[in-house]
Amino acid sequence: MLSRVAESLFWLSRYIERAENLARLVDVNREHLLDSHRQGQSNPTEAWRPVLQATCADAAYDAILEDSEPPPDAGRFITLENRYPDSIRQCIANARENARMVRDQISEEMWLELNAVHLLLQSSEAEALWASDAPEFYNRIIDFSLLFQGLTDATVVHDEGWQFMQIGKFLERADKTSRILDILTFWHEPDRYHCSTVLSSCSAFSAFRAEFRGEATLQNVAAFLLFSQAFPRSVRSCLRQVDNALHAVSGVPAGTFSNEAERLTGSLLARINFSGVDEVFGRGLHVYIDELQQHLNDIGQRLYETYVLLPSALRNVTRADGTQHMWQYNQQQ
Amino acid sequence: MLFQDYEKGDFFDEMFASDDGDVFPHYHPLYQRFQSLEKEQFQERQQRIDDTFLKNGITFTVYGDKDGTERIFPFDLIPRVIPDREWRVVQDGLTQRIIALNLFLHDIYHEQRILKDGVVPRDIVETAAHYRPEMQNVNVPRDIYIHVCGTDLIRDRDGNYLVLEDNGRCPSGVSYLLENREAMKRAFPRLYSGMNVRPVDAYPELLLKTIQHLSPRQSQTPVCVLLTPGVYNSAYFEHTFLARQMGIQIVEGRDLVAIDGYVYMRTIRGLVQVDVIYRRIDDDFIDPKVFRPDSVLGVPGLIDAYLRGNVALANAVGTGVADDKVTYCYVPEIIRYYLDQDPILDNVRTYLGWKPDDQKYMLENLESLVIKAANESGGYGMLMGPSSTAEERSIFAAKIKANPRNYIGQPVISLSRHPTVCGDTIEGRHVDLRPFVLYGEDVRIIPGGLTRVALRKGSLVVNSSQGGGSKDTWVLYQ
Repeated sequence: MLSRVAESLFWLSRYIERAENLARLVDVNREHLLDSHRQGQSNPTEAWRPVLQATCADAAYDAILEDSEPPPDAGRFITLENRYPDSIRQCIANARENARMVRDQISEEMWLELNAVHLLLQSSEAEALWASDAPEFYNRIIDFSLLFQGLTDATVVHDEGWQFMQIGKFLERADKTSRILDILTFWHEPDRYHCSTVLSSCSAFSAFRAEFRGEATLQNVAAFLLFSQAFPRSVRSCLRQVDNALHAVSGVPAGTFSNEAERLTGSLLARINFSGVDEVFGRGLHVYIDELQQHLNDIGQRLYETYVLLPSALRNVTRADGTQHMWQYNQQQ
Repeated sequence: MLFQDYEKGDFFDEMFASDDGDVFPHYHPLYQRFQSLEKEQFQERQQRIDDTFLKNGITFTVYGDKDGTERIFPFDLIPRVIPDREWRVVQDGLTQRIIALNLFLHDIYHEQRILKDGVVPRDIVETAAHYRPEMQNVNVPRDIYIHVCGTDLIRDRDGNYLVLEDNGRCPSGVSYLLENREAMKRAFPRLYSGMNVRPVDAYPELLLKTIQHLSPRQSQTPVCVLLTPGVYNSAYFEHTFLARQMGIQIVEGRDLVAIDGYVYMRTIRGLVQVDVIYRRIDDDFIDPKVFRPDSVLGVPGLIDAYLRGNVALANAVGTGVADDKVTYCYVPEIIRYYLDQDPILDNVRTYLGWKPDDQKYMLENLESLVIKAANESGGYGMLMGPSSTAEERSIFAAKIKANPRNYIGQPVISLSRHPTVCGDTIEGRHVDLRPFVLYGEDVRIIPGGLTRVALRKGSLVVNSSQGGGSKDTWVLYQ
């Protein structure tokens, strides 16, 4: 498999997972803000602040806030804004761009679904649907992502390329789960209402109920989202999947490693496997999550170096840097 | 009742033999089927096909459009029909032509007999923009230069097929031909099977065989790749389409690396040696060490590996000298010289800027001529005399005088027309035909080709970048 193809498959699936997580997060937050008077929260922009921070959208949002009156809707910003490079619309466009580059590697069904949702998001219909029925809009995105994952499992060979798609999806999911959990550190003392918002944003409400049967306290929610053995969006579950996929690609036995990406994943998984919520709060939840995210970024970086940049002997051979002149593409006969 | 108000006009019409509505016999079943349709039924089918193309991403990018908008290549639902006896002539003519052009290329890059004998002026060859002196005395694999040729044919007022130009570098369009056929089979299954149309679906397999034939390592299954400029090229859809159909990797320049005279692709398992590159990148951009140093699309060192015979290219480097629009004028002579035969397909009468008499004629008759730059393609850099303004004509007159070698003139050929859907009505629109010729172990041409249609009323320019569309082309068994 070409290195570039592996990279595209990784990002294709990662962008779709990102779009799905954003859709759920924004949808849940919108719904909860409908009850915001109960919370004594009157400034709509400030009510979105935790979500803007969790999605790293705050800087981009503040930049357009200065010359907009009234302030732009933060939910719309994360969803459809073209000036925000990680908006749902942009994520899907990026996924589709990557898919175009590897159309020969994915199934016709996957391409058709992705292209259809991309065309929808680029059309005026998207704005209209969002304005008239936002929950339906987000449902469509989430449904698309789940359908796409199903198609990925059911319509392509589970070869190396598929493993790279798994790695992209689960790295992104681990990252997003931890970011959504981080929202709770925004408040000095998050209450039941905050905790249930976070759980819903991870599609974890009923799963949490089933496992803890108790109160949705900060400690319980953090323990569940970080350490749950069985919940498929917990950080532990996601890392286990990344670890499996990495070993499926390299072929070395579980518990050993043949490259930096495997070593880092294994050590992070061990740390999560052999610690608990006491350690988390001993360090402070926010600090713990920060370190976790740094670790996840390193895994992505090492993966890239191992499989895309290739052996050290080739590092010096220059690669095109993406600033190609458009006219060079224009050859046609 | 679709053809009720159709006007044949003062043109050769592919379907209608006379003004009274007499239809050529090979169009009979099609005429009857379409006459039986209501306008709404017809439009519904058209809409369904357009939607399918968009959903499938069967699109091209328009250059100069700042959003890089993708558009579908407009598809017209009324197919063009070619009877067997006409097709045989075209097929023989194209075969004759590609064999002669390959002999010409071999000669130009070796003994240069044709130049020494004065049949083609040496100047013309050596000043051709795509002449590659680097290829002098290089033996290319199997001695074939043009493996894939897209020759543009037109029909004049009397229905004669004429060659308008040869595209012997990286001709595109074959994916539309294949997709058009799929669309027509879905839209009119019974009509299609009732008319005994020759299939075209063997193309990817034939193309694969053609390029595998070149492999320097015949002992093992050759590693073939398709080299694309990338996702921003207007023909990118076609590149992925062909790679998928052939089951070979599609690569960009950055996926390949040349080391010590061999070419490899970068995979997650390390480097894999490549035997044959079906390249869709022009010579200019293929290796920055040899050609344009600013190319970021190519592979440094690729030409070195090619010249050493360790990797094959299709098409070969330097074929552009054969499809130069000035060389074109000499193709009938080239055929006579190498094959001792008369050309089966005629050229369009062409005036050459560098010949004083011709230039004089061109400058005096700009209004009735088409002026073309010798090395441009895609419908760029040309002047359509009859529809031009005085200002445009004076600009071209200056260009011709400043660089006579680079310009040719041709009389405006009244291209044949074909009934075409135009909004609510069916009208005649001008068409051409681009068959795709493959030259491997032998010459193979899939029946028909891409029929391109100038959708703008009265327009004679069929290029997709200039408002052209396409039709399916049905070559019949009888």
